[in-house]
Amino acid sequence: MIKEKYVNRIKEISINIVQTGIESVRKKDILKTGLRVYDKGYIGIAGGLGSVNEDELERRAIDNLSLKVPYPYEPSKDLQKEVDYREGIPSEEDFVSEVDELLNTLKDQFPDFTFSNKINITEVESRLVNSVGLDLDYKDRLVIGQLIIKEKASANVFDALALYVDRQCHKDQYLNIIRETLDAYRNPVKLPREDKLPVVFMDYDRTPITKLVEELNGYKVGTGASLFKDFIGAKKFNESFTLYQSAEREDLLDPQFFDAEGVVNEGFKYALIDKGRIISPYTDKKTAHKFNLPLTGSASGEYDTVPSLAPRNFKIQASNKTLKELLDGQLAVAVVIASGGDFTAEGNFGTPVQLAFLTDGERLIGRLPELKLSGELYSMFGKDFVGKSKDKAFLGQNALVINLDVEYL
Amino acid sequence: MYIFPKNLYTDVRIEDVNYTEITYRNGELTQNLRRNYKGAFIRIFDGHRWYYSSTTDVDNIQNEIDKLALIPKENENIMDHPIVKKFEVHKGEYLQFEENDISKVKHEDKLGLLKAYFPIIENKKEIKMWRAVYLDRKVTKEFYSSKGADLKFDYQTCTLAFRYSLNVGGKTLESGYDKTDICFDTLKELDSKLEERLDRDIRYVKEAKPVKPGKYTVIFAPAVTGVFAHESFGHKSEADFMIGDETMMKEWPIGKKVGADNLSIVDTGEILGSGFVPFDDEGTKAKKTYLIKNGILSGRLHSATTAAALEEELTGNARALNFEYEPIVRMTSTYIEAGDKTKEELISEVKEGILVVDYNHGSGMSTFTIAPKISYMIRDGKIAEPVNISVISGNVMETLYEIDGISKEMEIISSSLGGCGKLEQFPLPIGTGGPYIRVKNVTVQ
Repeated sequence: MIKEKYVNRIKEISINIVQTGIESVRKKDILKTGLRVYDKGYIGIAGGLGSVNEDELERRAIDNLSLKVPYPYEPSKDLQKEVDYREGIPSEEDFVSEVDELLNTLKDQFPDFTFSNKINITEVESRLVNSVGLDLDYKDRLVIGQLIIKEKASANVFDALALYVDRQCHKDQYLNIIRETLDAYRNPVKLPREDKLPVVFMDYDRTPITKLVEELNGYKVGTGASLFKDFIGAKKFNESFTLYQSAEREDLLDPQFFDAEGVVNEGFKYALIDKGRIISPYTDKKTAHKFNLPLTGSASGEYDTVPSLAPRNFKIQASNKTLKELLDGQLAVAVVIASGGDFTAEGNFGTPVQLAFLTDGERLIGRLPELKLSGELYSMFGKDFVGKSKDKAFLGQNALVINLDVEYL
Repeated sequence: MYIFPKNLYTDVRIEDVNYTEITYRNGELTQNLRRNYKGAFIRIFDGHRWYYSSTTDVDNIQNEIDKLALIPKENENIMDHPIVKKFEVHKGEYLQFEENDISKVKHEDKLGLLKAYFPIIENKKEIKMWRAVYLDRKVTKEFYSSKGADLKFDYQTCTLAFRYSLNVGGKTLESGYDKTDICFDTLKELDSKLEERLDRDIRYVKEAKPVKPGKYTVIFAPAVTGVFAHESFGHKSEADFMIGDETMMKEWPIGKKVGADNLSIVDTGEILGSGFVPFDDEGTKAKKTYLIKNGILSGRLHSATTAAALEEELTGNARALNFEYEPIVRMTSTYIEAGDKTKEELISEVKEGILVVDYNHGSGMSTFTIAPKISYMIRDGKIAEPVNISVISGNVMETLYEIDGISKEMEIISSSLGGCGKLEQFPLPIGTGGPYIRVKNVTVQ
């Protein structure tokens, strides 16, 4: 019988902001421990919160083998690795003062706007250790600001967003992001024309790749339910389009280097689409084994659940061009809030855009009226795919450019 | 009982959760989870700021209170603070599910119930991938406050959910069938409903063609009406968006005409199901709140903080996702009230339009959006061919006036695998629903 322990710990200081002032401070320290046992092709799991008696957990996990959850795969073994991405971050007291200072600056510089929602310091640790030589440990700590911005004169619930994610707390950088956003917001502009135009999506926006993620599910491909079921190995997209699963240090959101089954990819990344060719769907051990597919390390799971297939951190490979070079003299639509759109089953894409700015690739020029975008999956990542910028021209993020049909809503 | 710090307001919420999750994928067992945990959330208020702590160490809550109380400043007048004065004080046990306790149903019975439906799915060759899920959740909450609240109550739901991917000649559809209720027996004998849903979806994937984009009169089925009410107006009724905002207060005065005369939207935590919240996470008892009554803005949803700031009454809408979070203003069960026409009458009066039967997701700011899953053209007053639509949208405030017909038939649906998302807290169980409603001038893409 192989024994395995999966521990997740999250420590967080969360500052809630209401009307550009601190409303509350929340502290969290949650430890979740799961104990897994593997025996005769089955997995038994038991978990607990806070301090737990591991002998008791092990006894319950062994009992749970009777639930007969099949797991006829070899647990990961003989690998020890520790990755600690944590960097210096202020103490709780200093953090609250920093946020207070930021809010006072915002009140001074943007009196016509109010700011709300959260700025957090979140520290995570995940450890997977077993009786066959596996010991993987990941630690990270991030400052995440998700300010919601409302124009005082507006009757909307909110009008703009400003996102900050970093391992350091640089309030001046966050202030720059907010300034870029609001300087452009204050300047209403029109589209160059209603037509196919370059559209810029910020790096954290998953909107354009949702259909790819859905159709690259290994189980869906294996069972023949995916649009891509006959296209593994086929070149279906633009030569300059490469999509991979990534857990590199620079991937600030969820760069845990191992999955819930302890699979570690070389260089912490795995290409699923390479230069337009579909290489592999994403898989966990079960999917890879069942459909004879490459194992891509895409198992997710809570501390006390059986690992199962789920998309992890997807990333489009950046080009060697800046955003300005990608736009090649054209004006583009930079999408900030596009809520509610979707792809149809056959891959047609449509979304309203609640907030977009006009950009020349170097700066945000002004705020566009509400828009609607439309495109088609194979075109979006085929002939209409322009590329991802190597630089972070604005809002502190790389940018993805796709030519889409753009109209006023 | 706890010793609460002097000159501060304190409350403690303790959650004892029993949770079951059984999942099969293409007939193979992939999850068989029984989970029980306890956690607590402590809040302290000094009249200026709130201080929160979330802990799993429920045996040492007193220590956690004492530690947290070191941060705020003492305030001799804290009990006179408008927010603290707003808090209701309830005492006693309100345990409704001791006899019908879902956590006491034998685990084998839950497995057996789920597996009994498999042959229906396995007989459909068009289904390439499927997932069958059984979930239940029984929560017992205790709530204590320095104002005197001493409360224990419970709620529970159980769910059957089927998700499947169809692929017919390269045309695909992701769909599903769900049922969530409060009693295990209600999940039995759903065979014909599941079969009906599967047949509908298979026909749909074979026959649906892309819609011609444009503006249409659209009829929303109850599930779609529910998401429209929730996303387009429910979120705007959450009063935390209004605190200190003069523009919003001017724009949204109670008594303002905001929609068609026959339109009434309600939120209440009193309906058994996913939106059942007998007491909210500040200890306020559930109430029925009209957000719109006969087209007139009639109320909004409150926590004690927002009720005090706007000098309105508590509504029982301060909810937290779980013990890791503070309560914020959230919906419970939100629905549009029934009208006076039949569904058939609504359809028969449309020359060319669209019936949206089911949806994938919805959102609502000044513009509402709904991504339909299953839709049909209406031609000459009759349901015609199925159409694929990526999104329908419209300006919320204009659309509320564009509702020109409401059916007598209505349904309130409990969320099952998902729920409502607001900021960091997702997914919160809710109820949504209403009648069939007919809406003019909706943008269809």
